[in-house]
Amino acid sequence: MLNLIRNEVTKLLLKKKLILIIGLLIIFITLLSYGQQYTYEKNIDRFENLSGAGTYDWKSLASQRLNDLEKRLDSPYIPADGIASIEIEIKQLRYFIDNDINPITPSAAKFSVDFVEQGISLLIPLIIVILAADLVSGEFSTGTIKVLLTRAVPRWKILLSKLIALLLMTTLVVLIMGLLATLISYLFFGQWGFDEPVATGFRLIDGQLNADAVILVSRFEYTILIYSLTWYVAIVIAALTLLISIIVDNTVSAIGVLMAALIGGQFLQFFLSDWPIVKFFFVTNLDLTRYLTGSYQPIPGMSLNFSIITLGIWGLLALLLGFQIFSRKDVLV
Amino acid sequence: METPVLKVTNLSKTIKKKEIIKDISFQLNKGEVLGFLGPNGAGKSTTLRMLVGLSRPSAGTISICGHGIGDDFVQAMSHVGCIIEGPDLYEYLSGYKNLELLGAMSPQVTRAAIDEAIALVGMEKRIHDKVSIYSMGMKQRIGLAQALIHQPDLLILDEPTNGLDPQGIHEFREIVKSLAKDTGISVLISSHLISEVQLMCDRVCIINQGIIVRDGAVTEMLSTGEIVWVLNNPYHGQKILSEQFQLDARITAQNELIAATDLEILPIINAALISSGLELKTVTTKNTTLEELFLSLTNQKTIQ
Amino acid sequence: MIKKIWPLILIVSVALILVFVTGLIIAIAITNGGDKNPETLPNPAETIETEPVSAANSILVLGDSIGFGVGDEPDKGIGKRYAALIDPDNTITVANLSVSGAISADLAALVAAPENAAFISAADLVIISIGGNDLSRLQYQDALSLDVTFQETLNRYQESLEATISRIRALNPEAQIALIGLYNPYPDQDPQKSQKLFEWNYQTQLIAAADNKTAYIPTDEAFKYHLQTYLATDQFHPSSIGYQVIAETLDRILNGID
Repeated sequence: MLNLIRNEVTKLLLKKKLILIIGLLIIFITLLSYGQQYTYEKNIDRFENLSGAGTYDWKSLASQRLNDLEKRLDSPYIPADGIASIEIEIKQLRYFIDNDINPITPSAAKFSVDFVEQGISLLIPLIIVILAADLVSGEFSTGTIKVLLTRAVPRWKILLSKLIALLLMTTLVVLIMGLLATLISYLFFGQWGFDEPVATGFRLIDGQLNADAVILVSRFEYTILIYSLTWYVAIVIAALTLLISIIVDNTVSAIGVLMAALIGGQFLQFFLSDWPIVKFFFVTNLDLTRYLTGSYQPIPGMSLNFSIITLGIWGLLALLLGFQIFSRKDVLV
Repeated sequence: METPVLKVTNLSKTIKKKEIIKDISFQLNKGEVLGFLGPNGAGKSTTLRMLVGLSRPSAGTISICGHGIGDDFVQAMSHVGCIIEGPDLYEYLSGYKNLELLGAMSPQVTRAAIDEAIALVGMEKRIHDKVSIYSMGMKQRIGLAQALIHQPDLLILDEPTNGLDPQGIHEFREIVKSLAKDTGISVLISSHLISEVQLMCDRVCIINQGIIVRDGAVTEMLSTGEIVWVLNNPYHGQKILSEQFQLDARITAQNELIAATDLEILPIINAALISSGLELKTVTTKNTTLEELFLSLTNQKTIQ
Repeated sequence: MIKKIWPLILIVSVALILVFVTGLIIAIAITNGGDKNPETLPNPAETIETEPVSAANSILVLGDSIGFGVGDEPDKGIGKRYAALIDPDNTITVANLSVSGAISADLAALVAAPENAAFISAADLVIISIGGNDLSRLQYQDALSLDVTFQETLNRYQESLEATISRIRALNPEAQIALIGLYNPYPDQDPQKSQKLFEWNYQTQLIAAADNKTAYIPTDEAFKYHLQTYLATDQFHPSSIGYQVIAETLDRILNGID
């Protein structure tokens, strides 16, 4: 079995897919980092012009805010549910002031998280589609499937080896994505920012964002969390891509079907967000990271648990169906 | 009796309500080279795909070295090497890498076995080049090597010379022939080319519209039991044959004398002809061509 | 080549899969908030120790960060500045229940909470600054969706504000109420958004008009031409001067010019 997996990994690597993907990532990340750096500089300029003081003094602003918050904490009139979030803001502000870091300064750690947060519902799925779309359909188009299936190996083992190879490569792609985003953006920003504190743990209760359970983690831990969610999404997309790749027999149609599903799904979400069934569609659930940031309120009734379970069911069904079809299919190419 | 290498019993296949293969049975013994001959669309390829497990029979059984392909796929396939419709190789890999990948799928394949297969098909010099720059002939050789690396007992080749130039066809044929002679491997070759089957096979199955219409040794199938004499005076010879041996002989436009006779009495006939003062130039047995036979068997008016 | 890096690929990806699975589990745990439950949070009433003094002149400030005095000098804000204007002897008590970031619904909840009833019934003047956060959190894509979401937000704001005022009236029929209007800190932005601000303030005025002891205190007209000086360094909250201007406007409207 390990031999079969190694074969599949070898094929994936030698097809130069990975190089294409790395190339795409480098281009995207470079452009986005540059863009963010540019926006940041513009903002600083704007602040300086407005304040007229010549230099933009974030520190006195932050200190003033810190004083206000501390005083507010002493006030007896603060409702208890506000205290936790004030304490968190105070800790964050202290960190920035103590370490002399402007909170709005872009850093490599921030960028690597922003990048996947933005990319998780389209760019990252597309990259996984590039990786996986021809895994089975490619063997059909070139006829090599016949060579694979006429060996003394049962069909399910062939498909399982492909699935595991895909799992390994998807994991590596997520790693590569993180490394590239961090390294390239570091070249632009010159700041790692991995030990900065980040607030996470927002919840939606009765449709309202609830900050009771918010905790502070370091940006490094936060990045790992975000990438874990990204990885989960990538794995589910990989399973779905594998299914399509088995069904359609040719790579171009496989990519087409998946792109239509991804982009069409976004439309669906936009136009039909009141329709309750939409929340069970996989595209609607891709944006897992928003549950950690608490920045965006999706369709009511959705939560991280809901989305993870929904995606998991989609992925498992795809695999089940994929194995069924693959082991029964007549090879007529 | 030894288990046949390949035994096909009552095999049928229906695709989209149309019966492509109708209840065919045949077998292949050790060391035999069997030709599977039929016009395009006769069902050769469909049958071969079922033999190697690429498609499922609608009815009937296939057993390879005693292992049924339906219930013991892995054991059965470990005895089979095949090329189904042209060599299917990973174009982005070298020939060697292709063989290595497939070798890793069977536990018994060693590096030495791979090298041996490469030597057998004569590809040592170009084996590390990418497949995408190979000629068709070279691809076919690699295809053959990958069918052989796990030392199968049965080699199944579906239209192996399609797309090869005459030189390539000749080379490929020589490799298969020597393979059968030297290793005792059984070979099943499907083809629509009569000359190919005639040159390579011991036995031939002629298949038409999903039915095996003839199955037998090539020599038997072609022999007509007639002898051809070339004489300086065929009319005199004709007289001798009818008078002395009661044979009804005929004379062709090329002045050949032809009569059906037993091979045992041929020396006596020849002696009689010579003693009567005739000049006997050649004596040969008359064969029909496989082509004539094939056309008479597959003469189809309509496509069903 | 592949043979050599294959063990590395295998080990790295398997290790990473473990890391990611762990991360996933932690992420789920975090969003589910461990075992903390909103119902079991300590009752806010327990934190209140000092009872409001029922002096003859008592001011209560309610609302958001502007009510709280963000951007002003420490321990100032509209309430204190107004008190200083009308009473140089400092006998007026000013209580401030404002919460930074509060929206109108938060305010309605705050005045409905029984532990705050004592403050409300003791107050002679209730200054309310609310609505800025409702409006600034408006999320929209285009003109159409701006219209729709704006209307929804405005409706909710009206309901909450009316509920707030009727609650205050129920506790304290005599108190003077002052609603601080909104100003536009970003006049260079989308003119469409500025128009929405006028509509917003107009609705606030209508609500103020419905109660004969409720005043509307406009700020936009005063701030419009002096944003540089009236806004704090964050370009959003009023500066000390800005707060003074609001307090003086309040004084002029409630007490007139002597």
